[in-house]
Amino acid sequence: MIERLRRLRNDRHQDAREWKQRTGNKVIGVFCCNVPEELIYAAGMLPVRILGEPEEATEANLHFPTNVCPYLKRCFDQALKGRYDYLDGLVVPNVCDVIRAMYGSWKLNLDTPYVQFLEVPQRISPQGVEFFSQVLARFQSSLEELSGNSVSSESLRHAIDVYNRNRALLHQAYELRQQGLVSGVELQGMVLSSMLMPKEEHNQLMAQYLDEAGQRHASGEGVRLFVSASMLDNTDFFQLIEDCGGRVVADDMPTGSRYFFYQVDGEAEPLKALAQRYLERVPCPRKMLPQARYQYIIETMAGAEVQGAIIHNLKACDCHLYEYPFLKEMLEGKGLPVLFFRGEETEAEREAHRDDIEAFIEMLRG
Amino acid sequence: MALAGIDVGSVNISVVILDDGRILAYRIVGLADEGSEPRRTVDLALEAAGLGWGKIVAVVATGRGRSSVDFAYRQSSEVLCQARGALWLFPLARTVINLGAESSRVISLSDDGRVKSFATNDKCAAGSGLFLESMAYLMGVSVAEMGELALAAETAEEVSSRCAVFAESEVISHVHRGVAKERVLAGLHRAVADRILDLVSRVTIRQEVVVTGGVAKNPALIKELEAKLGIAVCLPPEPQIVGALGAALLAVDQPQQ
Repeated sequence: MIERLRRLRNDRHQDAREWKQRTGNKVIGVFCCNVPEELIYAAGMLPVRILGEPEEATEANLHFPTNVCPYLKRCFDQALKGRYDYLDGLVVPNVCDVIRAMYGSWKLNLDTPYVQFLEVPQRISPQGVEFFSQVLARFQSSLEELSGNSVSSESLRHAIDVYNRNRALLHQAYELRQQGLVSGVELQGMVLSSMLMPKEEHNQLMAQYLDEAGQRHASGEGVRLFVSASMLDNTDFFQLIEDCGGRVVADDMPTGSRYFFYQVDGEAEPLKALAQRYLERVPCPRKMLPQARYQYIIETMAGAEVQGAIIHNLKACDCHLYEYPFLKEMLEGKGLPVLFFRGEETEAEREAHRDDIEAFIEMLRG
Repeated sequence: MALAGIDVGSVNISVVILDDGRILAYRIVGLADEGSEPRRTVDLALEAAGLGWGKIVAVVATGRGRSSVDFAYRQSSEVLCQARGALWLFPLARTVINLGAESSRVISLSDDGRVKSFATNDKCAAGSGLFLESMAYLMGVSVAEMGELALAAETAEEVSSRCAVFAESEVISHVHRGVAKERVLAGLHRAVADRILDLVSRVTIRQEVVVTGGVAKNPALIKELEAKLGIAVCLPPEPQIVGALGAALLAVDQPQQ
């Protein structure tokens, strides 16, 4: 079952194509944790997260300079190489400068029929939530037009339920990871696959998987680590940590806890509830709310008995790099040694990372 | 019974044979040299110590190529080995600056000698030993003499500290303009020291500061570094074997083979 989830990361294009053929419905590409996928699901379409490949970008170099986010560049590179040609649409949230530039480049250079820019307000306030729910209402109309399906508040509530269930299951796996029943690589595989496959199917697989994992014997081995990352879109880095004798027991990253921490209020008015969860609760550094970030990070580590922290930021990710010194100070203030990486997450960097991670783990073992 | 530590770096292999808290012998062999390989280097060091393999109870390997040492009892990170080696040589060491051929690192030690934190620089060539080596080649001088030549200059010519590629083109234009070799070399050393200082500033510097690695043999660089840090640093008699020494010291903790 975990193999199926892990394979999906690599077979994602084929899987999405098959889903399209089977259901006759549309597939929508999504960037970032700030897009309420529930709306796409409610309109009868399949949201899939856009991911790069751990290979050097070639085509995208003609469009972007070297000093931009390597993750977005690799995603765009994949699109230019035709790997995302099955997409019926793409949603790009306004979260950073590079993604804004990529929105324009995607529209200009690729023939994805629907490319939607989603305005995510910078100010996180009741007015911001109000504004964002209006944005979401317009987003909903455009999705209805694209899919030909109308989204009733009932169907939206159902979507929220399905997504809440998925978040709850992933949260359960997060707790099992703390207990040593699930590895860091496994959980990341679950999150990545959740971003790629129909949620109901994922919920079924997850429930089955968690049952199996609950029967295992807990592994107490490995130095317990917290990982904060700007973007790790495959499991290689976690695999490296585990190969070096570390055990990720808590995380703060888009392909980790940020995707499933906090539920959408199923009782409230759906658009407002979505706006609230995605704007106020998804705690990424882009939102410039340090206190909320720190509180969230402390929450991710609760009960995890973390011994050290690894921060992995992509080169030129301004939001994360700006936050890094403050985050480091906060973690060190809690008595946690910090190991910092800033890179492109390429194969070539891995050996140097291995050296540092091994040294860090040796240091923590004392 | 003796212990061996082996450090397989990106340019050299060094081996230290330790017995009863004493360095019996050591050997440094260039990876480019004929017949250079880990086992052969241990052979050479054993020969110098007048011992056979039978006298060695444990071998610990470190360095970027440590996984190639199949006869090692244990592998350990460069950070831990550099720290152990430096502390053995200088018991008051609280900071270790290790300047290798390809990468440099700074290690902060606690009062009880444990590694508290460390930072590595292996992305940029501008602060590395290989950069100095390629600049020496460019200027037609040997690595061994470049430091002495730089010390002879009264003033230094400005060289960019940010990028090895730009620094190289700057050096070429200085040479073409007829600037004295010594002045260009002095500027180069200053630039490399700047780069190292960027790295060093990532940890809290506490004395004593020990500088290890092949680059520590360059007197001009040490002078620049001391001037920038505003303190005198401790230099091991042979800075290139500190990693291997640390590995041999870790072998002390091993159960007998």
